[in-house]
Amino acid sequence: MHTRLLTLILIAAGLSACATRAALPPGAPPSAESPTGTAQPEPPIPGQAVPAPPEQPAPGAPRQFHLGPAASALVTQARTQAGGGEYGQAAATLERALRIEPGNPLLWIELGRVRLSENNAAQAEAMGRKALALATADAGAQAAAWHLIADSLHSRGRDPEAAEAEGRAGALAPR
Amino acid sequence: MGLAALGGTLYVLYLDRLVTRQFEGRRWTLPAQVFAAPLELYTGLALSPAQLEEELQRLHYRRAERPERPGTYRVAGARFDVALRPARFADETRNAQLLSIGAGSQGLESLRDSAGRDVPVLRLEPLLIGSIFPIHGEDRIVVTPQEVPTLLPAALKAVEDRKFDSHHGVDPIAMLRALWVDVRARQIEQGGSTLTQQLVRSYFLSSRQTLSRKVREAIMAMALDAHFTKADLMNAYINEIFLGQDGDRAIHGFGLASQFYFGKPLAELDLSEVALLVAVVRGPSYYDPRRHPERARARRDLVLKIMADQGIVTAREASAAAHQALGVSSRPAGAYYPAYLDFVRRTLRRDYHDQDLTEAGLRIYTSLEPRAQEQAEQALEHELTRLDRQRKHAQEPLEGAIVVTSPQSGDVIAIVGGRNVGYDGFDRALDAHRSMGSLVKPFIYLTALESGHYNAATVVQDAPIDVALAKDKHWRPENFTHQTYGPVPVVRALAESLNLATVGVGLDVGLPKVGEMLQRFGLPQPPAQVPAMLLGAVEVTPLEAAQLFNGLANGGFRNPLRAVRAVISSDGKPLKAFPLEVTPVASPDVVYQLDRMLVQVMERGTGRPARALLPANLVVAGKSGTSSEFRDSWFAGFSGSHLAVVWVGYDDDEPTGFTGSAGALPVWARVMAGLGTDSWDASMPDNVVEVHIEYPTGLRVVPGCAEDIVAIAVPTDAALPSKPGCGFPDSANPLTTILDRAQRWLRGLGH
Repeated sequence: MHTRLLTLILIAAGLSACATRAALPPGAPPSAESPTGTAQPEPPIPGQAVPAPPEQPAPGAPRQFHLGPAASALVTQARTQAGGGEYGQAAATLERALRIEPGNPLLWIELGRVRLSENNAAQAEAMGRKALALATADAGAQAAAWHLIADSLHSRGRDPEAAEAEGRAGALAPR
Repeated sequence: MGLAALGGTLYVLYLDRLVTRQFEGRRWTLPAQVFAAPLELYTGLALSPAQLEEELQRLHYRRAERPERPGTYRVAGARFDVALRPARFADETRNAQLLSIGAGSQGLESLRDSAGRDVPVLRLEPLLIGSIFPIHGEDRIVVTPQEVPTLLPAALKAVEDRKFDSHHGVDPIAMLRALWVDVRARQIEQGGSTLTQQLVRSYFLSSRQTLSRKVREAIMAMALDAHFTKADLMNAYINEIFLGQDGDRAIHGFGLASQFYFGKPLAELDLSEVALLVAVVRGPSYYDPRRHPERARARRDLVLKIMADQGIVTAREASAAAHQALGVSSRPAGAYYPAYLDFVRRTLRRDYHDQDLTEAGLRIYTSLEPRAQEQAEQALEHELTRLDRQRKHAQEPLEGAIVVTSPQSGDVIAIVGGRNVGYDGFDRALDAHRSMGSLVKPFIYLTALESGHYNAATVVQDAPIDVALAKDKHWRPENFTHQTYGPVPVVRALAESLNLATVGVGLDVGLPKVGEMLQRFGLPQPPAQVPAMLLGAVEVTPLEAAQLFNGLANGGFRNPLRAVRAVISSDGKPLKAFPLEVTPVASPDVVYQLDRMLVQVMERGTGRPARALLPANLVVAGKSGTSSEFRDSWFAGFSGSHLAVVWVGYDDDEPTGFTGSAGALPVWARVMAGLGTDSWDASMPDNVVEVHIEYPTGLRVVPGCAEDIVAIAVPTDAALPSKPGCGFPDSANPLTTILDRAQRWLRGLGH
């Protein structure tokens, strides 16, 4: 019961984090999402309130990508097509979804999976890397991207690199 | 005598063979039809009710009391009930259906089918934007008898050939009567040729009327009549007959004529529109409804009167139709987009012979977005007219070209090849090879960032440079202002497009490295390894410049720019797809740092004048380019969802007197403002951190501490010197830290 509640809260937090983006002040570049590692982020300035909009995710806060209803319906359709071996159709359907949500790593991973089924491992890997670049602060999506990269390397017999990619996926989201 | 009879018989047999072959073969020569990208409708799509209606009207949907016939819609408050036409897409076909769209001021709020169920996503049918017709220029859209309104054959028979159903191809009495009527009325009222004779005449392109031709025509008409049914002949006539001229493109058949004059399928024409097309048959240029509306109208009304007299429609219906305006669209469906179609043709020429394209009835699905295309065309004309006024002594008007893409997919959504957008001639977007000027600078700094020796805060020297070339020659570049700026941070050198600082960096990282970077992003030829390359002595077309910058807009991933998505055979089989492809060509970390600097170009550098035309909160990134002596004015830049490259100059390479900021930038800003584009908001990579530096010195500061501060992105392990007394407290001296903080706190109060 408790775990269900917790999951629900996490999902809600994830949704709100990526569903909304704060309006930027004129001319301001997009703000930092999540500096991590050895970086030393700027300290808050005492006495000077930083007017952070409430819907902005806190620095370093994890987020979780999800699909909007349109993209979600298209992914369902694409999976049916791919299941029937119609990879070209499935890819065309996923391209429709990508035109609606081009910055969603989940769609790039989905398309990469179709490419892998078509034995186009080079494109599968490239799409995994594209997804990885988009999936900052979403450990789940990053792990899925690394799995795709690992599988595409593996299918080309590049096993040591595949193992390394698999390791990175495992470190992000242990299976 | 016997020989003559034999000769006559052979001649008749010969004509018979000729005309039946022509008739049978004719069905298969169909120019490829080219379609724009279909508009995807889904809840949340940022489309205002006015824009939605505009999109429906672009496809020639009509308002109706009850949206029952496909191609009509009703607006009830904020709800649009649309009777969608059946549609063929590259990947599927869809039947006609009813769709209710809840349109709010912020975008679409709901989509429901006729049973009230939510529809997650649905496409409007793709707009026909052109066709690829052969050299002799015949263009047509073939219709099946089911797609023809029943009024049309009835009207054709009533006006052109009353005994069509009973005669044997010719109607001698009608010929004589026509002669008599013509003599008495002193005008051509009755043609006398049967529809079958007209069909024969159209097949053999002989408009000259000699007696021998008339005889030949009559024999062939009788031959056709003997071999084929009346229904076949009527269908052939409807698809064959010449109905208008558009430049070197001849409009054949009622299917295309309906699109050409009314912008909608033949099946949707009403009585007055059918009557107008039947009127045009008699003389497509004399009765051209765009050039001679009054003549066309008089003839249409005559057709209506004949239809009423013959009992095809009631007198009341005819009279009501005669009161309607001509209803001809102002722009022929396919003033088309010649520059875009040019790119489509070139893409396909790699895989198809000309004949496949002009005869095989292929359906070609492209990425063109009509709204973006029209915005771009208008932006170029508007700004070039304004710029021409500033150049009072110029001999000729300025020219320009625009390419617009969706960076993540590599879709080319608009191409403008020059000011005369309907002109199918020199396509500057594809064929103007011009010096890229400072458009090269981002790739120099990208090479520098990738080397690991530079970041956006690195201080470089903007100082005189002297490069010894062969034979005692020297290259001494200068800044645009003929001044030097001394030590400047990289972000400023790029934002203000400082030549000397950039050449210094380029020479340091090496010409081969810079050349290799350009090729990674898609430059087709290796650039000449001369120092002047660092100031853009590299020729590119606007399309190639778009390919290069697309990789920057797409976070270091290159995708081949594509106009064509798929080619489908006339019977609906997928023949060729041009799928989305990406290739990583530079680290996303490095490209992100560069893109943040390109944002500063727009905020404080040469792109700043664009601000006046752009929405206040829109974040964009870009770079200006000016070639030597102002021959070329460039701007290349992107938002989160669009990339646009603009070139402005003269065809004969004369100087324009405009920098990239003065010439191409306002065009670019107008294009971007019209697109309704999203802010550039790439997420910051994990190995990169945002810091603030003092713009003139590059020293790290805390926001609010110094006067002139800029936010940049640097690698997390970058060591940046701090401004004394204002910097980030990296040394653990508690006293200075506390004093610093107190000082900043006091400053904060002052805000």
